[in-house]
Amino acid sequence: MRMHTAGFWPLPLLLLSLGTSLPGPAHAQDVDAVRQELTAVRRQLDSIREQYETRLRELTDRLEQLEAQRRTATPAPTPAATVPVTAASSAPAGGEPSLREMLAPRQPFALAQPGRTLLFDIGVSGDFVTDFTSRNRERRRDGTFAGRENRFFPREVELGLFGRVDPYASAVVRLSAGEEAAGLEPSDRSLGVEVDEANLTLLSLPLGTTARLGVMRPRFGTLNIVHQDDLPQIDRPNVLSRFFGEEQLEGEKGIEAFWVLPLPVYNELSIGVFDGDNEVAFGRGTLRDPLVIGRWRTFLELEEHGGLQIDLSAASGIATDAHRTTILGLGAKYKWAAPGSGFPLFTIAGEALYAMRTVTTEGDDTTPSRDRRFDRWGAYLYGQLDLTRRWAFGVRGDWTELAAERGREWAVSPYLQFKPSEFLRFRAQYKHTEGTGAVERVANEFFLQGTFILGAHPTERF
Amino acid sequence: MRPRRTLRLVSLIAVLAGLLGAPPAPGPAAEPALRVLATLPDLWSITRALVGDLGRVEVATRPGQNPHDLEIRPSQILLVKRAEILVRNGLEEDAWIDPIVESSGNPRLLRGSASVIEASQGLDLLKIPSGRVDRSLGDVHPSGNPHFTLDPGTMPTVTASIADGLARLRPDLAPKLEANRREFLARVESRFQRWRERLAPYRGARVVSYHDSWPYFYRAYGLIELGVVEDRPGVPPTPQHLTSLVRRMKEQGARLVVLESWYPPESAAAVARLAGAKLVVIPQSPGAVPGTADYIAHMEHVVTALAKALADP
Repeated sequence: MRMHTAGFWPLPLLLLSLGTSLPGPAHAQDVDAVRQELTAVRRQLDSIREQYETRLRELTDRLEQLEAQRRTATPAPTPAATVPVTAASSAPAGGEPSLREMLAPRQPFALAQPGRTLLFDIGVSGDFVTDFTSRNRERRRDGTFAGRENRFFPREVELGLFGRVDPYASAVVRLSAGEEAAGLEPSDRSLGVEVDEANLTLLSLPLGTTARLGVMRPRFGTLNIVHQDDLPQIDRPNVLSRFFGEEQLEGEKGIEAFWVLPLPVYNELSIGVFDGDNEVAFGRGTLRDPLVIGRWRTFLELEEHGGLQIDLSAASGIATDAHRTTILGLGAKYKWAAPGSGFPLFTIAGEALYAMRTVTTEGDDTTPSRDRRFDRWGAYLYGQLDLTRRWAFGVRGDWTELAAERGREWAVSPYLQFKPSEFLRFRAQYKHTEGTGAVERVANEFFLQGTFILGAHPTERF
Repeated sequence: MRPRRTLRLVSLIAVLAGLLGAPPAPGPAAEPALRVLATLPDLWSITRALVGDLGRVEVATRPGQNPHDLEIRPSQILLVKRAEILVRNGLEEDAWIDPIVESSGNPRLLRGSASVIEASQGLDLLKIPSGRVDRSLGDVHPSGNPHFTLDPGTMPTVTASIADGLARLRPDLAPKLEANRREFLARVESRFQRWRERLAPYRGARVVSYHDSWPYFYRAYGLIELGVVEDRPGVPPTPQHLTSLVRRMKEQGARLVVLESWYPPESAAAVARLAGAKLVVIPQSPGAVPGTADYIAHMEHVVTALAKALADP
């Protein structure tokens, strides 16, 4: 007790001295002012405390949310997960990113960040083309890129999402936008967006079977499965455009299975059943009359002498006029690369197509309508020399009959390619075309192309 | 007539069989115990040393072939189809194997499967990019530099990953695999000591690489990487970068430009000439030079070439 009394001793003295030292009326005003200030400070403190409590609550909620996400993101024990070597490699440090984190616009096309990994790949490609030609071709709209003559246009801007769905399947979705030639007026031109591919590949089926289902480019011939921006030249060969239209056999909906045969030499068989939505050859669009496509492909590894690929394809379906169309294809591709750097690289490839179509010709007062059979063929052949990683040049020759009309055409197209990097490419191509019959014309065209790839891109194939 | 007809028939069958590639007569004795596929020649040579006579090890790329811009060949799909175990780098240098596996109809070798061994597991990796990683850096490896086998000091970890992976699938072969591993490591360690002694006089020497392939090698032997000619992987260097590199080489006395044999020599040769340095062309993968298919023989070749180049005034 004594100690307490001694401890508080100076306080009354201090208060007394303070009280006696202050003047009377001014003292009262100052006390009021101090009181008001104290009240204001108290309010501010309360406000700050509230803010801190709110932020603390938010942080606590966030922490609990993250912990819950980490718990749910922990994979169930699967055979792969029990393997220390591979499991450790596939699990990103710090847990899986949340959907919110993946969608954050902070770094949309970055490959990765330390400690973070996207669960699928994203790639964007852009393909821009210019077609310079005569005013005649432009007026008649019969250039290679019909309706887009003497224009710079985005042929295809593609967003690709691809990756593994689970241990048993992978998937790919490709959305593309490109300028379409609609009407005759400039205002008719539109940028069409479509689903190029959206398919699931089942990887673990019995008997070494791999199956794709969804929207896809079917395995037919050599170039049909190649995307626009990956074509060896700026335009598709004439025979493919004449027999399948500009869109080729893309966007077909159905299922396709393929097998690599267990033989010493590479042999691959594929067969697919599709709705048949091709604008030119198979437009029936129903599984009651499906489009059936089969392909056999072999590859001969010639080691230092290069590699040779041969494919045989057949597609049979019903056209919009209810007649059956069957198209057969034979393709070959040979490549030789210098040992070491791989350059110079020489490629020679070609494809021949044979089409059997029946078309109902319209009658008039004197002649009745009748079915007419067209057996037509066409081919292309090109050679390309890649001098270095950057520079390449080549020439393509085309010869084709029209699929269901009288007439034929041939063309020759020398081209030059410059690749500053793996992700950027520029091309220039001259094309001289001469046609007879329904395509009676002489056309001279000059194309320029710029192509870029952002983010992930598939590995180049032979 | 009958013998002639029979002969024709046999000839026809032989031709068809040849075209389609008829399989050899099956026999359990001819079937190797392990069928391993390595993505790259360095992994192939190391795995071969571990497997020995326990099976067959094939490689998906040819020796001396640049693995960075590889195109898929159907013959690689066939190699994947035949294999039961895949040994891969694990740092995206061989990411091209994924679409090959997906085309092969062999789900055992899909990424994440127990039959896939990633050799980079457990290594102290160099040059893991920090901050924003995008294509402005070129064809960069986001997980770290993948050329770790050029440091023989990584062999205990690399061979442990591979041997453990093989033994996991074939526990009956584990003792033999471990014995092969120990024998291989003993040989590597013995030679590594000699290689270190050989390059010891040049510790601290400043060197320039064409591609960023050598950080593990430089770490192993105490060489200092002054710069890289191809500063952004896969993108040819700009004149500004080359000028700056030459200036630094002159200032700091860089003596050597190391060029992997699969890259074009022009810019590396120009840099070496302008900086007064020597250009040495070295195959980065085993087997690119005759007699170097074995890992130790390959490293011997690399160390000898570098020591010789550094020794010349």
